Formats: sequence, C-alpha cells, structure tokens
Amino acid sequence: MNQAPVVDVRGLHVRFGEVEAVAGIDLEAYAGQATALLGRNGAGKSTTMRVLAGVVPPSAGTVTIAGLDIRKETLAVKQVTGYCPDVGGLVPRATPWEHLQLSAKLRRLIGWEERARDLLERFELGDVMNRVTGGFSHGMGRRLSVVLAAMHEPQVLLLDEPFDGVDPIGVEATFEVIADARARGATILLSTHLRDLAVQACGTALVLRGGARVAAVDADEMAGEEGARAYRALLD
Amino acid sequence: MPTALSSTETATTCHRAGRVAAARRAVADVAILFQFRRQAVRRRHLARALSVAFVAVTVGAATVPAFLPGAAGPDQAFQILIAVPSAMAGLLALTVASAIASGGGRELISRDQAAPHPISPTTDHLGALVLAPLNIAWLVQTWTLLGGVAYATPGHQLPFTQVVMVLWILFSTAVGQVLAWSVEAVRRGPFGIAITRSLMVVLGLAAGAVQVTGHTSSLLDRVPTLWFLVSGLEGWSWRWALAVGVLALATLVAIAIGAVPAHWAARRMPRDETRMETNQYQPRPAPRTVLGILVRTDRGSVWRSVPMRRGIMVLALGPGIVALFGDLKWEQMVILPGLVASGGALLFGVNAWCLDGRGALWRENLPASPTTLFDARAWVLTEFLGVASVITVLIGALRAGIPNSQQLAALVCTLLVVTMQVVGASLRWSLKTPYPVDLRSARATPAPPVAMVGYSARLATSTTITGMIFMGCAQVPNWRLSLLVAMPCLLWSASRLVRTRSRWEDPVVRARVVSTVAA
Repeated sequence: MNQAPVVDVRGLHVRFGEVEAVAGIDLEAYAGQATALLGRNGAGKSTTMRVLAGVVPPSAGTVTIAGLDIRKETLAVKQVTGYCPDVGGLVPRATPWEHLQLSAKLRRLIGWEERARDLLERFELGDVMNRVTGGFSHGMGRRLSVVLAAMHEPQVLLLDEPFDGVDPIGVEATFEVIADARARGATILLSTHLRDLAVQACGTALVLRGGARVAAVDADEMAGEEGARAYRALLD
Repeated sequence: MPTALSSTETATTCHRAGRVAAARRAVADVAILFQFRRQAVRRRHLARALSVAFVAVTVGAATVPAFLPGAAGPDQAFQILIAVPSAMAGLLALTVASAIASGGGRELISRDQAAPHPISPTTDHLGALVLAPLNIAWLVQTWTLLGGVAYATPGHQLPFTQVVMVLWILFSTAVGQVLAWSVEAVRRGPFGIAITRSLMVVLGLAAGAVQVTGHTSSLLDRVPTLWFLVSGLEGWSWRWALAVGVLALATLVAIAIGAVPAHWAARRMPRDETRMETNQYQPRPAPRTVLGILVRTDRGSVWRSVPMRRGIMVLALGPGIVALFGDLKWEQMVILPGLVASGGALLFGVNAWCLDGRGALWRENLPASPTTLFDARAWVLTEFLGVASVITVLIGALRAGIPNSQQLAALVCTLLVVTMQVVGASLRWSLKTPYPVDLRSARATPAPPVAMVGYSARLATSTTITGMIFMGCAQVPNWRLSLLVAMPCLLWSASRLVRTRSRWEDPVVRARVVSTVAA
C-alpha cells in the first residue's frame, strides 16, 4: 500500500485506573477502505473507537487521523470524523432533527437539510424526526446514530456496533452508508460482534483480544464455516 | 419503577393467606433491594457517618432543647407550643406534596434496573416509604418539630409527647405515600392529567379563599392535630394511650393500604412521561451562534423532563404561596431565593452532565470547544434556578407592599449570590462525582438517595447562611451595604466556577465524566 494511512495508531494504551482497556494496539486504515474490528466483549474495540472519536484521550501511544495528532488537534479530528457510539449515543430529550441541526451548526454545514431528510427516510426515521429520542426503541436509536455519524460525510466514519438490535432494513441502509462512504474515499472503521455482517461490509478485519491486536486479515478469510473456525480460534 | 405483578403474587392474591405471604415477600424484597443499593455506595465510611449523624441529630433534636434556658417557660416556649399543631399539619402537607410531586416517592431501584426482576408494586411502595426520610425537607421539618416540642414541653411530659410526635411523623409519611400513589393512579387513568390539574387548581383556589376571607387562623386552630398534642401533654393516661394506639394503628393501616393504589398505578401507563416522549416538537430555525444552539439543546433536555417540570413548578409556586399566605415581609422573603435555588439544583444541577444521558458520547465527538459546552450548561442551570426564584419572589411580593431601597437591594443581591453559589457548587460536584442517571421517570433523582441528602444539606446550609446575612443587611438603612457584602461573595463564587471550567477542559476529566454518565 503506497498511500499514507488516514487512521494511524501506534502502541495505543488506554488505562482506567487499574484496568488496562487497550494494551498496545497498532492499526492502520486507508482511504476508501472499510476495516472491521472484531473481538469478544472487553477486547478493547469500543475504547479504541472512543479514542479515535476524540472522546477518550490515549494513555500512551500515538494516534493520527487524517494527519492530525489526536492529542493536540482534538477539535479538528472531531471535524473530520463521524461517530456512532456503542451505547445509545442520543440525547434523550432532543428530537432527531435537533440532533442533526446541532451537528450541522457545529460543523458549519450549509444546505445539509436535503441530505438529512434523505438519510432519515432511508433509515425509516422520517415519521419520527420530531419526536424526542427517549421514547425510541433500541433499534431506532441505533439507526439514528448511524444517520448522525454519516450525515456530514466525514472523512473517517466510526461505527461502533451499528447492527446491534437493528432490523434487516436498517442493516441494508447501513451497508449503503458504508458503500457510499467508501465510494467517496472515506475511511470506515466498523466494530461489531457480528462476523458475517462485518465480512460483508469490510475488506479488512482486525481481531482484538485482551486489549491487543491478535490478527489482521482480509475479511474474506473470515467468511463461511472456515472463517468462523479461524475466528473462533483467534478468540480463545 | 412501573413494576408488574410477580408470578407468585398472581397465584396467591385470591386468598388471604396468599396476600399475607405476598406482603411478607414484599418486605423481604425491600431488604434485598436495600442491601443491593447499600453495596453500590461508593464511600461507605461517609454513609456510616451520615447514618450515625442522622440518629445523633434526631435524638439531640428531641431532647437537648429541653435543657436550654427558657424551656417549658411561659414566654417563647409557650408561643412555640401553640404553633405545634400547625407544624404537625405542615409536616403532613409536606409529605403529601413531596410524594405527589415525585410521582409516588423515590425509587429503591430504577425502572430499567427493576425490569428483569419480579419486584411487586408492594415492594416499590415500601421502598419509597423507606427512602422518604432521605430528603432534606423531611429531615428539617421533623427535626424542627421534635426540637420545638422538646423546648416547649415540661420535662416529665416530654417522653410521652415525643412518642406521639414520632408516631405522627410516621403516620404523615405513610399517609403522604397513600395519597401520592392514589393521585398517580388517577393521573395515569382516563383524563388523569386534566383531573389532577383541576384538583390542584381547586385546592389552590380554596386555600386562596380561606386566606382572603381571613379564616386561616381559625382553620389552623381546628386541625385535629391539637388533640394529639394535648394527649401527649397529659402524660401517662388513658387518653395518651388511646392517641398512641390510634396513631400506631392508623400508620399500619396506611402502610398496608398504600399498596392498593400502588398496584393501580403500576397497571397504568405513566401518561406524563409517555406524552412527553410521543409529542411532536415542530422544528425551529437553528440559532445563529454555537452557544445558542447548545443552550437550546440543554433547555430542551431540562424542560422536556417530567421530574424537572414538576419539581420546578412545586419549588417556584410552593414557597411563593407560603410567603403569600404567611404574609411574609420583604426582609423575610430574602430567605426564599436560597431555598428555591437549592431545591432546583437537586432536580438535575448536582449531576448536570447526566442531562445528555447516553448521548454524551456522541456530543463529545462534536467539534465544539469544551468551554462553550460548559458555558451552555452553566447558563441553562442559572436560568432554571433564576426563573424559579423570581417567580417565588413575585408571588410573595403580591402582599408585601412596596419594598424600600435596602430591602430591594438585599433581595436582588441574595438572588444573585445564592444562584452563583448553587451553580458553582453544582457544577463542581457534577465534575467530581458524576452518576449514570436516566431522568425519564417522574421519580428519578440525579444521584443516589444518600448522595442527595449530602448535597441538599450542604446547599441548604450555605444558602440559608447567605440568606440570613442579607436579611440582616435589609434591616440596615443603607442599600449600599448589601452590594458591599455581595461583591466578595460573587467574586469568590465566580472564581470557583472558573476553576471548575478549567478542570472541564482537561480531556481526561471530561472522558471520565462522559463515560460515566453514558454508562
């Protein structure tokens, strides 16, 4: 690969008191590529995503996103990323439209409304765009989180468990968002437990275990029965 | 906690023996849940110290005033004794209002946490009773009542009178719970919101009519609490034994029958919350500035929350109405802004970042300066407390006439100083000890019950002291004195707020807060 990585992580450590959630992860992701982060609960996937989103600062190691050092240029990193967090990710007493307005205002977007409406329709959220998200089902919340992450067409799209509890239409719409992002040259990182969906959506897969990377393979190698066995072996 | 009937209850409610078994099971479940909550207490030594302090202060309040000079005398002590029946009625009114405002009292375990467990509405009802004393208003009222009785009652009659008072406190708490569940059951029924609101208006108008026609004193003279006080003052007698028996029995009956409306309420949808979550909020144009849109988002989080709307309504109107009916003078009204601001902060301010709930993670990824986020939250909290305090003062002002310059200066300065104090303290605590809380339910609080008592005690102490200082300033015929006193207070509070704002800029601190509230 000759091009420089858009997401470049070297020796990432994240500690919460006594607990080391991430223990030395190296990661490279390139423009136009979708990379899956796979692993068991507590493997460090979500913490890594939070670091890349500028939400949690790294305890050690270097992280650059689109050439920006995440420690020094956190705000600029937030401009170029779109993040769907693993839990909720929605302000409970704000409507989807108010979420989108807030994101657009802070990112200085102009003429975003049409794309926002289109995304809401694609994710079948058009009817509820003026209801507060506190009353949403889990799946609706997940779908809206993907819309919020993708609306401003970020250079780096970070999707943490976007398929969790989502119906097939939502899954299809998320695939479309990922495909669109790849087509316009964005870098996608997708964290999920669902190996089959990860294989369909991504070209590369990183397997994490105990806060460290244990494998980096082509997603195809994780496909089918053979892939399931290989994946299982990496988890144990 | 809308709790469903447990499987065992459904099977047994047909028989009396089954009902007894279900009640025993509910009591046992309360103990289990209490133990569960106790294990989650972070600073156990502090919780133990608070428990010891609670017992010590209660015993102290009930005995120490009896040894003060003038105790049981014909002057001040007698005046206090005359006021005791009204204080007893006031305690009952407080427990009822407090339990109704919180939709049936506090939750021993939150709705979401309770969902997978077979916890019956009876357990929920008993849990709310257990938690009722963990409320600074309840504590202050009961300590004041016990202290007043200890000061006013002759020594040999004191133990008998205090037994009656303790039973009255328990009875009031249990009755408050029964009425709260009943109102909640009605509110969740057909036309429930309209019925309960109409009831509140009728009660308000009735109270207004009593006041306007000058019947307040005669009404208070006729409250049946006088009979219980006199029974206590008689010492060992058949009348005392009867009063004790009646109160003990009535308390047990109230505790038992409280489970009935609790079951009614649990079978119905919480309408207020559901309405808030299914309403359509028409889009408005985005504000021009980043601060403006952040403020608007935070305002929505506050005003679309049922516990905050109800709480602020009670806080803004309650003390104002008391001031109006009590014919408070301008000097006395200086104490009100501190009371309202402290209460308002307890609705969300002491854990201000929980407003975002799980959306905190997404918000933290937005490209906005941390200081702008902080400023927006501080502003929304300030206006929330300020609006409530101003409403209270305006209601109280209806009968207070035209204030002179020193009274007005003292009131305005108190309002500014206590608001600044409370906002500063709240945001400091929000940063230091955040909690993952969902403020969806009308019964939710921004922190666990023990923490809430600690917060409310500290806020009440500081704002009351401030209020009393400015009350003194209002007596001095120079309005400049209040300004002179207010300036250093405001500067001190502002400097602490700025320090908190600087700490919020630290990404490690912010990550800890965001990860906690979003958990």
